[in-house]
Amino acid sequence: MIKFLFKGILNDKSRSLLPAIVVGLGVALTVLLHGWITGALGDSIEMNASFNSGHVKVMSRAYARDDAQMPNDLALLGADPLVSKLKNDYPDLDWVRRIRFSGLIDFPDEKGETRAQGPVIGWAIDLFSPGSTEIVRFKLQGAILNGKLPSKPGEALITSDFASKFKVKPGDSFTLFGTTMDGGMAFRNFIVAGTVRFGSSVVDRGAVIADITDIRKALGMEDAAGEIPGYFKDGGYNDTKATALMNDFNKKYQADKDEYAPEMIRLRDQGGMAEYLDIANAMGAIMVFVFVMAMSIVLWNAGLLGGLRRYSEFGIRLALGEEKKHIYRTLLYEGLLIGTIGSVVGTLVGLSASYYLQVVGLDMGDMMQRSTLMMPTLVRTRITPAAFYIGFIPGVFSMVLGNALAGIAIYKRNTAQLFKELEV
Amino acid sequence: MKKHSLIIIAFLFSIHGFAQDAKTILDKVDRNMSSKNRIVESSMTIHGKRSSRTLTSKTWSEGFEKSFSQYLSPAADKGTKMLKLEGQLWIYSPSTDRIIQISGHLLRQSVMGSDLSYEDMMEDRKLNDVYNAKVIREEKLNDRNTFLMQLTAKVENIAYYSQKIWIDTERFIPLQQELYAKSGQLLKRTELKDVKQIQGRWFPTTIVYKDMLKQGNGTEFRMNSILFDQKIPEYIFSKAALKQ
Amino acid sequence: MLAFKLAFKNLIGAGLRTWLNVSVLSFAFVVIVFYNGMLDGWNRQGRSDTVAWETGNGQYWHPLYDRYDPFSLQDAHATVTGEAAKLVKENQLLPMLITQATAYPQGRLLNVMLKGIDPNQEILSIPSASLKPQNGEIPALIGKRMAESAHLKKGDHVLVRWRDVNGTFDAREVQVVDIFKSNVPTVDVSQVYIPLSILQEMTGMKDEATLLVASATLSSTQIKGWTFKDTKFLLKDFDEMINAKKGGSRILYLLLLTLALLAIFDTQVLSVFRRQKEIGTYIALGMTRLQVIRLFTVEGSMHSLLALILGSLYGIPLMLFINKYGIPMPKSADQAGVAISERIFPFYSLGMLVSTILLVVISATIVSYFPTRRISKMRPTDALKGKMQ
Repeated sequence: MIKFLFKGILNDKSRSLLPAIVVGLGVALTVLLHGWITGALGDSIEMNASFNSGHVKVMSRAYARDDAQMPNDLALLGADPLVSKLKNDYPDLDWVRRIRFSGLIDFPDEKGETRAQGPVIGWAIDLFSPGSTEIVRFKLQGAILNGKLPSKPGEALITSDFASKFKVKPGDSFTLFGTTMDGGMAFRNFIVAGTVRFGSSVVDRGAVIADITDIRKALGMEDAAGEIPGYFKDGGYNDTKATALMNDFNKKYQADKDEYAPEMIRLRDQGGMAEYLDIANAMGAIMVFVFVMAMSIVLWNAGLLGGLRRYSEFGIRLALGEEKKHIYRTLLYEGLLIGTIGSVVGTLVGLSASYYLQVVGLDMGDMMQRSTLMMPTLVRTRITPAAFYIGFIPGVFSMVLGNALAGIAIYKRNTAQLFKELEV
Repeated sequence: MKKHSLIIIAFLFSIHGFAQDAKTILDKVDRNMSSKNRIVESSMTIHGKRSSRTLTSKTWSEGFEKSFSQYLSPAADKGTKMLKLEGQLWIYSPSTDRIIQISGHLLRQSVMGSDLSYEDMMEDRKLNDVYNAKVIREEKLNDRNTFLMQLTAKVENIAYYSQKIWIDTERFIPLQQELYAKSGQLLKRTELKDVKQIQGRWFPTTIVYKDMLKQGNGTEFRMNSILFDQKIPEYIFSKAALKQ
Repeated sequence: MLAFKLAFKNLIGAGLRTWLNVSVLSFAFVVIVFYNGMLDGWNRQGRSDTVAWETGNGQYWHPLYDRYDPFSLQDAHATVTGEAAKLVKENQLLPMLITQATAYPQGRLLNVMLKGIDPNQEILSIPSASLKPQNGEIPALIGKRMAESAHLKKGDHVLVRWRDVNGTFDAREVQVVDIFKSNVPTVDVSQVYIPLSILQEMTGMKDEATLLVASATLSSTQIKGWTFKDTKFLLKDFDEMINAKKGGSRILYLLLLTLALLAIFDTQVLSVFRRQKEIGTYIALGMTRLQVIRLFTVEGSMHSLLALILGSLYGIPLMLFINKYGIPMPKSADQAGVAISERIFPFYSLGMLVSTILLVVISATIVSYFPTRRISKMRPTDALKGKMQ
C-alpha cells in the first residue's frame, strides 16, 4: 500500500509537492536556526577557548596561578612528551602547544641599527605542522590585511595598527627582543609575512603571531610550553566530558607535590565562564524551544491545509465505496510519508546549509561596522547531534497531526455532503 | 649584565662626601676603588625562582661613562655584546646580527630577570655629585668595623632618593649598600664580599644584589680577574666593535 | 472597507488554521520586539554606566595620553591652568592623574594604574567620598574585580611602588578603605584610586592631571593644551559590541519570521486553490480581478494584525514582568571589557516598535500577495465552475 501511496504522492503534485516543500522548508529553517543559535551563543565561548582558555588547558601549577602575567619562567617543561601522552590518553581532543609572551619588536634601519621599536604581546602557535588546526582556530586567514600567512620558519604576522605605526610592510624584517625562559636576553629575527587585524584595540596596537618552533628557539623554551590547550574534536565545549577529563588527569598528579607539575583546568574554571555557559545553554534552549514550537504549529497547519485540499477527492472515494476508516488511514499514511520526505529533505538541506556556514561562516561584516576579538564578524553555525532530530521529529509529527485533524472532517460529514462539496 | 654590575661597582666606588668626615671617607674610598680603566672577567649568577644560571663575561671600562662587555658563556649568550657610551646603551646579538638600542621605558625593565634594571647599570654619576652624605655611626658588619653612612639625594632626577652605605673603616671599601624609596621603604640591598688585594688595592670581588620587593635569592656577581690601568684601544668603545 | 470586513470574516471563519498562523506570527513579533528591547536596554544601560563611571560627558586628554599605552603616562601630564582650572573649580571638570605603579599584595607582583581622584568629586560615580585620609595612611579605593584578583579586603594594607615625575622610586603602603562594585570593568581591573592631592604630592606633579572628565552640564569647548575626546570616541568598543550583537540577532529573527511567513504563504496558496468558485462568484458579481486580489491579500495580511493583537495580549504582560525583574547576565560578559550590568532591563523604543510592526505587516502582505497573482490569470467562467486551472 505504501508503494501505491507513494506513487500517488509522486504523481499528484498538488497534494504532495507544496506540503512537502512547506515541511522541508520548515524543517530546514529549524535545523539552520538550531545550528545558528548553537554557533552564535557558543561563539564568544569558542572565541575565548580558541584564543585563550581551550576547552581544557594544561599548565604548570605555578603558571596557572598567575597565568594572566604570562610567566614563561614557570612554563611546563617536557611539554612534547606530555602532549604525546595527552594525545594518547585522550584522543578525542586536539592538543596543541602554545607560548604566550611579551617582548619588544625592533625594526632595523639599513645599517642594522634600531630604527623604531615598540612593545608587543605575542602568541606562539603551531603554524607549520601539516594538519595544524591553529590557523583556523585563530581565524588568521580572514584576519590578514596585507601579505600572507607565514609559510616557513622565520616568518611572522604582526598586527596592522602596529605595522602602520612603524611603517612596516610584508617582507620587512624585525628583531624580537624578549626574555628567555631562564631570564636571559632573547633575540630572533623575523620577516613580516603579513599583517593581521583582529579588531580588538588592545591586540591590534601591538601583537605578533609566530610559529612555536621559532619562539621556542628564541625564548630558550625547547620542549617547553606555557599552555597546552585541548579542543574537543567533535565540536564545541562539553562541560560533562571536560569535567571527567580534568578529574581523571589531575588525579594522576595528585601525589606529585611539585609546583611545576601539570594541572588541567576546564574552560568553565576560567574567568567566570561558568555562569556564561549556564546562561548561554538556557538561552539556547529557550530559543530552540520557541522555534520548534513555531515550526510545529506551521507544519500542523500545513498538514491541515494538505488535508483540506483533498476533501473533494475524499468525496469521490467515498462515493466509489471506500470506507471512511480506510480513507482516514491512507490520509495519515500519506501525511507520514510527506512529513518524512519533507523532513528528510529539510534536514538534509538544513544540515548542508549549517555545514556550509560552519565551515565558511557568514561574514556579518556589513551588518557590523567592525568586529572585535570577542565578537567576530564571521558567525558560524554549529552542528550538534541534536540538529539531526530537532527538525525531523516535529516535522513528521506535526504533518501527521495536521492531516489527522483535517481528516476528522471525513467522519464529521456524511458522504453525500462531502461529495457535494466537491461538485465535480 | 656584567657590565651593569661593573657600573654599579664603579658607582659605589665613586663615593664622595660633603660633610667633613663623610667627604674624607668617601674620598679615600674613591681613591681605592677608581682607576683609569679596568678589564674584568666575571661570572654572574641569577637565582631565579625555579633555577639559577650563570653567565661569564669580559668587560672593558674607562671611568664610569664608557664600558664594553662581551659574554663568554653560556652558549646561548656567547658573543652578545653591550656598549655603554655617552649615556646610551646598545646590545648586539650575534644570532640576529643586530644592534638594538635600549632606551625609554625599556631602561626601567629588569635585566635578564636579574635584580638589576638597565637603568641601574646606566647610572654613571658620582655619588658625591648626586647625594649629600653623612656618617651616622660606626658599626660592626660581618666582623669588620664600618662607618654607616647616610646619603640623601641633592638632585631630582635620580632613581633612589636615599642610600645607606657601610664602609670598611680600615680598608675604605664599601661592604654593603641599601637603596631606599622617598618614603624610606627599602627597595634594594647590595652586599660586597670576598675583599682581596689586587695590584696593591683592596677590592671586593663578589657582589650580591637583591631586589627587596621581589621573591628570590638575588643576583650574585663574582669577579674572577681584574686588571687595572691597562692599555685599552679606543675602538673598543664604539658601535663598530659590537659587530666584530 | 468592504474588502476589509469581508477579509476579516473569511479569516475568522477559517478558525483553527488562522489561529495557528496568527500564533506563530505573534511569536515572531514578540521575539523580535523582545530581543531588540533587550539589546537596546543593554545598550542604554551600558552606555549610561560607562558615562557615569568612566567617560563622563567626554574627556579632555593630555595630548600625549593614550589609554591603551601605559608607557604614555610617563609624559602625559600637565598642570591644570587657565580655563581648565576655572572649570575644575566650578565642578565642570574632574581632573584625574594617572601613573603606573606596582602593587605587592602578599609578595606577589601586580602592575596597576594609580589614579588620583578628588574625594569630593560628583562627576563620576566612583565612590571617592570614602577616600578620607585617616591616621596618616594613604586611603585607597579599589573595585571588586581588582579586590578579587589581588586577594584584598577592606582594611588591608598593600605596598605600592611608583616613580615620581623625576623617575625617583617611591613606595608606600596604602590602606584599602573601600571596595566598590561597578558594571564597568575598565574602571575596576588593575585600578587603584587614591586622593588626587596625595598622588600629586607623591609624584611631585602638583596641580597636574592626565585627563579631565567633563560633567554632564559642560558643553564641549576647546580647552587649550587638552584634546577633547567625545563620548562617541570613548565608547567605540562598546558600540561595536552592540552592533555585533544586533547583527547576529537579526539573522535569528529573520529565520523565525520566514517560518511564520511560510505558513501564511501556504494558507494563501490553498485559499486561492480551494476558493476558485468563490473567486468566480466575486468576479461574476462585478468585482474586478484587482479587487479580488486585494481582498485575498488583505485577508492574508490581516494575519499580521491579528498577530499583533495576540502578541500584545501575552507579550505585554510578559515584558512588563521582565522589565520589573530584569534579565540576569553572566558576570563573565565583562571579559570583553565593556560594561554589562548584572541585570538588563529591556527598553522598548517607539521607533523600534513601529518598525517591527511595519516589518511584520509589510512582509505578511507581500507573501499574501504573491499566491493571489494567479487570480488575475483565471477565467471567471472556469473559476465559477471550480475548474482547476
